[in-house]
Amino acid sequence: MAKSSQKSTKKKQQPWFWTSAVASIITRLVLIIYFPNTLNFSSRPEVSTPLTSIRRLAEGYWLKQSSMSPYAGSMYHGSPLLLSILGPLTVDRGEGQPSHLLFGLAFVIADFITAMLIRSIGQLLQITNSQSLKSLGAGRLSKISENFPSGDVAALVYLWNPLTIITCLGYSTSPIENLMIVLSLYGACMRLVPLAAFGWVIASHLSLYPVILVIPLVFLIGSGLDTPPRKLFVQQTYGDDQDELSSDTHREHKGTTNGTSNLINFSWRRVVLFFLWASACAFYVLVLCSISLKEFSGLGEMFKRTYGFILSVEDLSPNIGLLWYFFAEVFDFFRDFFLIVFHINILFMVLPLAIRLHHRPCFLAFVYIAISSVLKSYPSVGDSALYLGLLGLFVNALADMQFSFFLFSGYLGTLLLSPVMHNLWIWRGTGNANFYFATAMAYACFQIILVVESVSSMLNHDRALKQATTPVAKKVQ
Amino acid sequence: MSINYPNISQTNRRKELVAGRSDSRSPMASTAETEGQKPKHRPIIRIGIFIIAHSFLVSVVCCTAGVLALLLLPVLAKKTYVSENALMPGSATPMLSDQDVSGATRFINELTSLKLKSWNMGIEIPRLIALHMSNLGGEVNYHKFQTQPNNLHPLYFFTSPDAEANIVNKTCQSYATNTVGIIRAPRGDGKEAIVLVTPYNPVNLTQNEVLSLGIAYSVFSLLTQVSWLAKDIIWLAADSQYGQYNSVAAWLRDYHTPSFGGHGKLHADNCHGTSGMHESKLDTFVETEVSDTFRRAGTMAAAFVIKVANTGEEGEQDALNIYAEASNGQMPNLDLINVVSYLAVHGQGLRVKVEKLVSLLDSKWLNFIGEMLESVGKIARSLNPQWKFGIPVQEYVEGSATLVSSLYNQAIGVPTGSHGAFRDYQVDAITLEISPKLSSSTKARQTEFLFRGGRLIEGVVRSVNNLLEKFHQSFFLYLLTASNKFISVGVYMIAFLLLVAPLPVVAASLFSDATKSKPDSQKHKSTSSEPFQSWRWLYPTKTIFLVHLWGAIVSLLPYFIYQIPDCQPTSRLLIWASLSIIILAILHSFFGPSSTHLQEWVLLKSVTVSSLFIGLCLMSVINFATAEIGALILVPMCLMIKPWKVAGKAHSAFNFLLLTIGFPGAAFFVVKGAFGVRNGSGLVEFWYWVESLWAWNSATYIYICMVHLPCWVLCICILLHSC
Repeated sequence: MAKSSQKSTKKKQQPWFWTSAVASIITRLVLIIYFPNTLNFSSRPEVSTPLTSIRRLAEGYWLKQSSMSPYAGSMYHGSPLLLSILGPLTVDRGEGQPSHLLFGLAFVIADFITAMLIRSIGQLLQITNSQSLKSLGAGRLSKISENFPSGDVAALVYLWNPLTIITCLGYSTSPIENLMIVLSLYGACMRLVPLAAFGWVIASHLSLYPVILVIPLVFLIGSGLDTPPRKLFVQQTYGDDQDELSSDTHREHKGTTNGTSNLINFSWRRVVLFFLWASACAFYVLVLCSISLKEFSGLGEMFKRTYGFILSVEDLSPNIGLLWYFFAEVFDFFRDFFLIVFHINILFMVLPLAIRLHHRPCFLAFVYIAISSVLKSYPSVGDSALYLGLLGLFVNALADMQFSFFLFSGYLGTLLLSPVMHNLWIWRGTGNANFYFATAMAYACFQIILVVESVSSMLNHDRALKQATTPVAKKVQ
Repeated sequence: MSINYPNISQTNRRKELVAGRSDSRSPMASTAETEGQKPKHRPIIRIGIFIIAHSFLVSVVCCTAGVLALLLLPVLAKKTYVSENALMPGSATPMLSDQDVSGATRFINELTSLKLKSWNMGIEIPRLIALHMSNLGGEVNYHKFQTQPNNLHPLYFFTSPDAEANIVNKTCQSYATNTVGIIRAPRGDGKEAIVLVTPYNPVNLTQNEVLSLGIAYSVFSLLTQVSWLAKDIIWLAADSQYGQYNSVAAWLRDYHTPSFGGHGKLHADNCHGTSGMHESKLDTFVETEVSDTFRRAGTMAAAFVIKVANTGEEGEQDALNIYAEASNGQMPNLDLINVVSYLAVHGQGLRVKVEKLVSLLDSKWLNFIGEMLESVGKIARSLNPQWKFGIPVQEYVEGSATLVSSLYNQAIGVPTGSHGAFRDYQVDAITLEISPKLSSSTKARQTEFLFRGGRLIEGVVRSVNNLLEKFHQSFFLYLLTASNKFISVGVYMIAFLLLVAPLPVVAASLFSDATKSKPDSQKHKSTSSEPFQSWRWLYPTKTIFLVHLWGAIVSLLPYFIYQIPDCQPTSRLLIWASLSIIILAILHSFFGPSSTHLQEWVLLKSVTVSSLFIGLCLMSVINFATAEIGALILVPMCLMIKPWKVAGKAHSAFNFLLLTIGFPGAAFFVVKGAFGVRNGSGLVEFWYWVESLWAWNSATYIYICMVHLPCWVLCICILLHSC
């Protein structure tokens, strides 16, 4: 369905975007209202993980209502704040008003806001991109990059992505997590430091892995949005007329968007401000948590049951990730060692990528999200939905991406195969865990190929820019 | 990760960029144009490029090899062996005594006399069975149930068996009564059970059903006395007046989904009063012992459906027919079949048979292939005596006939007996159909027959009784070529994979052709009109998505057609067909001609082929037999298809022939003809066949509507393409 949306946006008709977006919302509502239990997405392991399942949240809320710790009995592993906000919605009203409608509506709204935020990030990116290209004097390329309104594409890809719709229908809380991640990115893009800090703290509080997004956020806040490599501007400075550049810098400096000037000035003041705001938010969140858990248990239990649960991979029920199978097989005395190895895996990638892609913080954030959704302990298709949506932001830069059809078929095949294998294993009993894990591995492979291909085509794009902007004299040699 | 990008002709790329727009190609495509410049690819990519470059040769070789491998399957079959050590079949001597058999004979006589004199058989016979069960010392209860109407549940396959809400308008009309007797195991903890099922029709009790009840009685009578029993025994005398499958399925449903609300129970009691079960002159003994409370034993380890077939087979031995296919081509664990056939052959001297297509036995071409293979085997043996390749013609032909029958039964996804109901709850079950060699009218013959049948069942129960875990040791995915020969999943998958292997290769080669050819023609026109070369596949993908959406709608249409009252099958079929065509036309007019990019049939074919590949691979996991037959029909069609304007006359005619065969309706008749199943009266038979597929929730139906039909429509699109 994303294809029709792309086609529509290509015609540059704004109404198309809105009809398409509204149609996706209506589709969701229709599915929620008329087919509440037919598809039973909320019990699928691909959709709801131990962290995001709404059933577990309802259980936690019930425990809390009956004056017990919501973390008793290893059912609920989410945040206490989520319990206070979404918990009341899980109670059956008993007045002919089914409870699933309410949180279905909440998730639809979350999805919509996320899409709108992605759209405005895309618009910002596009403006910046064309400005920086103009300042580089590569007008020919900038013309091309205006072909696709990448914000609209990304928002529609997010809204019409079947994975997003399934996540929304499966009543898992990942739309909220995705909203918080996108909110922090948006805040950083707009240089609204408090908003970015708030989004980052809440996202990390909900699912821990967004912590690594601090690096792209700092880049965004400190030096602004995605630009071609800094070297090019330096070359430009030497190669071109000085006056033109200075006037250019002057002009850019006023606006919120970056120009060449920001590359030189990394705004430390804002970064410090970001961290101050972040610590304030974190403190506030912790206070709220401790208030909500006051009667039952302290923050210690919360950390143990949420972050500890994520890091020590206690729940080995099958999901589309890789860790459950591995930790079901591994000997107990090696467990700690391999826990460290697997979690370090994500951290290993953080630094090299940050060095290589520091000039494109939004893209860096996309890569981090994709990698963490491959390697996290309880992944779901909701995470994939987010990074596929963000991928749409770079549609102009990634126009040359290889294997796109191969990846599409692979994603489609594995995502269809996964429920079949699960059925074969759990309901028919003719398969076994290896069948399901095989699809999980294939899925991880495709995700990794996607990351590798997108990064390499982004680097190629940078190379192409460099090639196009180097002076003619050099080219002849 | 990001750093180690292969240096695919970087310099080359830069030059192109200088010229204008970097053209985007898959690495396969880019090789062709960098031929002169020594491409530095990784070996794996080079192999891929080599294969894609020779896609025609690869597809011909692979398809031929696939068909050959399919024909070779009976030769590659291995002997079965009992894999689970705990089973120990035949290690104990049979204990079934004269006393048990004479009791069974008395029981048979009583049933027969009741059949002659009583008019209210629907009540009297279950009562008689219950009386005898409780006399033997079992716990007895009646299970009243109502047959459920057959509904279309398109999503049944992906949901759990009990996810479907079963709300039925309950009337007292179609109630039937199963009688259930349970022996509690003296050495067990009541956590596991073995089920014996004897279907009988109380309204019209035949002699065969009486005999099967007699066999079950003799075994039940023995098992109440033995000390070695570690699993509870459940004897289900299933009232099959509304179908054998339905009665067993209803009992299993109630066994596995206990209803605590008690709506159904209350209603059953109401009906129960009207049916007059208690008003009749029951013995007070039975009244106290037999209750309507649903009795349970533990998890079912295995289930055996015992039937007695008509005589008519000439032969010097009694024969045993084994039926194993459950819904959607699922099979019970091979160990269960192994144990039964081992005990039948070695213990009781029965001749074990598996269903086969008799019409294939004297087909000329099969005999010819068999002779060829035999002579090849002889030559191989003369070269090296170690090579034990090749089997006699007779064995090959019989093996193929069995294999074809097995494939057919699995492909339509309809269970071959009431054992199919157990498979939905992961219980391994088979039907044992014993056919006596002569008419069992004589007394001595009947006793001997009861001894044989009883001892077989006893041996099997004793063997399964030893089981420590659920059956897991042996295969679940296999095809039988004889009762003691099987082809495992690892072997038959090769045939299928060879057949579908050309699909991704051809898709990739077409895709690279399309991306390669385009820029050359367009480069001079404009550079910026179409910058997203590598994303051009989105347009054909949209078409294919729409066609598959149409397929999904078509598969749901019968649900609405069924709402039309009083319709002939033929008119229903016509409504279905016309509605489908109308919807296709509407979809085409809305979305079809909107963009000119659809003109590229190469890309369209490439995407079609890859979607077919995904569909067939999915189906091969769900139901192998369907996927294999579907691949035999669809793969040549999809590989050969070309627009008639491009292809030559002969090629087009051949395509047209393939398309005619490929239409699901035509394919149905072709397959039926090829397998020699009775050829019926056209449309009506087709409609009833489709109806049976819904009724059994067969995945084959979903496959036909969502993979086969869309693929066929897309092939027509390509054929009629105006390039």
